[in-house]
Amino acid sequence: MDPSEVEFLAEKEVVKIIPNFSLDKIYLIGGDLGPFNPGMPVEVPVWLALNLKQRQKCRIVQPEWMDVDKLEEIRDLERKEETFTPVPSPYYMELTKLLLNHASDNIPKADEIRTLVKDIWDTRIAKLRLSADSFISQQEAHAKLDNLTLMEINTTRSFLLNSLNCMYKLRSNLQPGSSRGKSQDY
Amino acid sequence: MFITDIRKEFYDVVVNQRVALLVSLDIDALCACKILQALFHCDQVQYTLVPVTGWQDLGTAFLEHKEQFRYFVLINCGANVDLLETLQPEEDSIFFICDTHRPVDVVNVYNDTQVKLMIKQDDDLGVPSYDDIFRDEEEESGDSGNESDGDPEPSGKRRRYEEGAVERRIERQRAKREWEARRREILFDYEQYEYHGTSAAMMIFELAWVLTKDTKDMLWSVIMKYVTDIATLQRHVSRHNHRNEDEENSLSIDCMRISFEYDLRLALYQHWSLYESICNSSYSSCHFKLWSMHGQKKLQEFLADMGLPLKQVKQKFNSMDMSIKENLREVIEESSNKYGMKDIRIQTFGVHFGFNNRFLASDVVHAAAALLENTEKDESPGDNFIKALDCLSRSNLERLHGGIALAKKKLMAIQQTVASCICTNLILSQGPFLYCYLLEGTPDVKLFSKPMALTLLCKYLLKAFVCSTRNKRCKLLPLIMAAPMDVEKGTVLVLGIPPESDTSDKKNFFGRAFEKAAESTSSRTLHDHFDTSIIELKMEDRTKFLDALITLLS
Repeated sequence: MDPSEVEFLAEKEVVKIIPNFSLDKIYLIGGDLGPFNPGMPVEVPVWLALNLKQRQKCRIVQPEWMDVDKLEEIRDLERKEETFTPVPSPYYMELTKLLLNHASDNIPKADEIRTLVKDIWDTRIAKLRLSADSFISQQEAHAKLDNLTLMEINTTRSFLLNSLNCMYKLRSNLQPGSSRGKSQDY
Repeated sequence: MFITDIRKEFYDVVVNQRVALLVSLDIDALCACKILQALFHCDQVQYTLVPVTGWQDLGTAFLEHKEQFRYFVLINCGANVDLLETLQPEEDSIFFICDTHRPVDVVNVYNDTQVKLMIKQDDDLGVPSYDDIFRDEEEESGDSGNESDGDPEPSGKRRRYEEGAVERRIERQRAKREWEARRREILFDYEQYEYHGTSAAMMIFELAWVLTKDTKDMLWSVIMKYVTDIATLQRHVSRHNHRNEDEENSLSIDCMRISFEYDLRLALYQHWSLYESICNSSYSSCHFKLWSMHGQKKLQEFLADMGLPLKQVKQKFNSMDMSIKENLREVIEESSNKYGMKDIRIQTFGVHFGFNNRFLASDVVHAAAALLENTEKDESPGDNFIKALDCLSRSNLERLHGGIALAKKKLMAIQQTVASCICTNLILSQGPFLYCYLLEGTPDVKLFSKPMALTLLCKYLLKAFVCSTRNKRCKLLPLIMAAPMDVEKGTVLVLGIPPESDTSDKKNFFGRAFEKAAESTSSRTLHDHFDTSIIELKMEDRTKFLDALITLLS
């Protein structure tokens, strides 16, 4: 899967905006949206929020989890725990990037939030790498990882699957002539 | 006709239509165009952008597009000439003109249907009233009709009637002649001087403000135009900055911040070395008279007085020692006061985004102007316009830096040309004006085949001349400058600027003067430029054109 596809899926998430125009309820295939009244917050999908923001028709309100204190707690918890902790949102990375790129003037302390989210991401990806490493070296047959987001899975997916395939091929070739070589440590 | 409510009468009309944007090639139009484009993007208005270099270009562009478009928006072109006669449009074409050139042609003002002027009416336009210029022709024809089909009456009465009629007719003709003479006088006074009104960019920004779609980017575009209306701009800037005053919710470093502060009148000094900037800015160079040895020595003294080591000063500004940079502005101001440069400090706007991007308004103006008139590669003016438009947006910083590099070259070329002109006494006093001709072999003369660059050179040269001459009378003379434009076609670019004065009231009468001189000598001229004081002339006709001008203006 392409990271841009994951971002596309993330755009379905709902975010609160404050429009400056008025419009009656609109009926789209994916659901109903609106009605829009100036100054009244309304929930819309991220793709619409970004479009409206670029046309200067609304102000984006940051999601509740996008707050410096909360993110600091999550980051500290993530660093302490060995396993993956629950994430603020299943698409936290994509939403941070989208909202901070387009609407950083509506989000207070945007730079710190960006740094904190990157820290959380780095910690989790490091854990994922370690976990994949131990999975392969201990030659486990199955593993269970909780609280992973689609974007994180997507980073290792192709590499992990391809390398597991290669290893399977190598092992199945080794089987008949087992005297020839030992399996290597990965 | 003047538009009173720009939102209802202009924006709401075009928002659902396809629009052709015909834009002239100057900085003000560039900025206005940028803002208008942003507005159109917000509301998804389909438009076609056509940069035009002069009247001929405008005509061709109009012919190409008149089938597809009903609405034309003209930026910084078209107000000072009878538009309908020049373009001969269909009945349903509507023109919205946002132009700084004054005087506005009277036909454009009084046309109610097709020509809409986006110009503030409280600008002292001095448009003559309708009755003074236009007159119903019907009254006279009605009377003469009465005379011609007078029924056969008793001859006595008829004769008296006829005599009365003849007298009335003579009276009417005399009144008509007087009226026409007065009309000519009014029009002459009205159209004598050419000057500039509120900038187009400011008008369009006000439209954006009314639509509450103004952003800092747009505000920056307007500021760049260096409008003299600093008070209004300051209000807009503080309005935008007010939103991020809260200490707790400080803004991301990537957001654009516009500040209004005191800074130095040295061109591009933050992107160049301080030494180069002092040598190549017109203000400092004219005060020190840097074309003479004496001036150079004075500059060295000045630098020594400030305690700035030469090695530091000749480095790129960003690499200067922090200790020097911190107090630089105050130190320079103090020393400049000592050396007679009292106005080295000006109030200007600066923009600041990211960690190392800081630009002053004048920097960006220089860069955009250099890009607009780029003679290095052979590209069409339209392409240069698009490149200059790019350099205004935040995402295209390399373009902006490229523009700054070009601007540096241009400033250096101007400085050298000015120095050589003054040292070799190339400026001649022709009686009512000063005259200077750039020979073909002059280095960088290709740069000056463009009107904006030549205007800059002209202003700089006049300033330098006024500083260097002792003749009191010459200080009050205007300057006409000629430079070779196209060597193959054998044309020169001629332009005139008003004399150096302290008032900002720059009224330029050369437009009319050039026209009359060209007519009287039947020289082959091309009055193509939107600024009537800039014309093209065949090289061979130069001398007789000049002689005619001298006789005309003395």
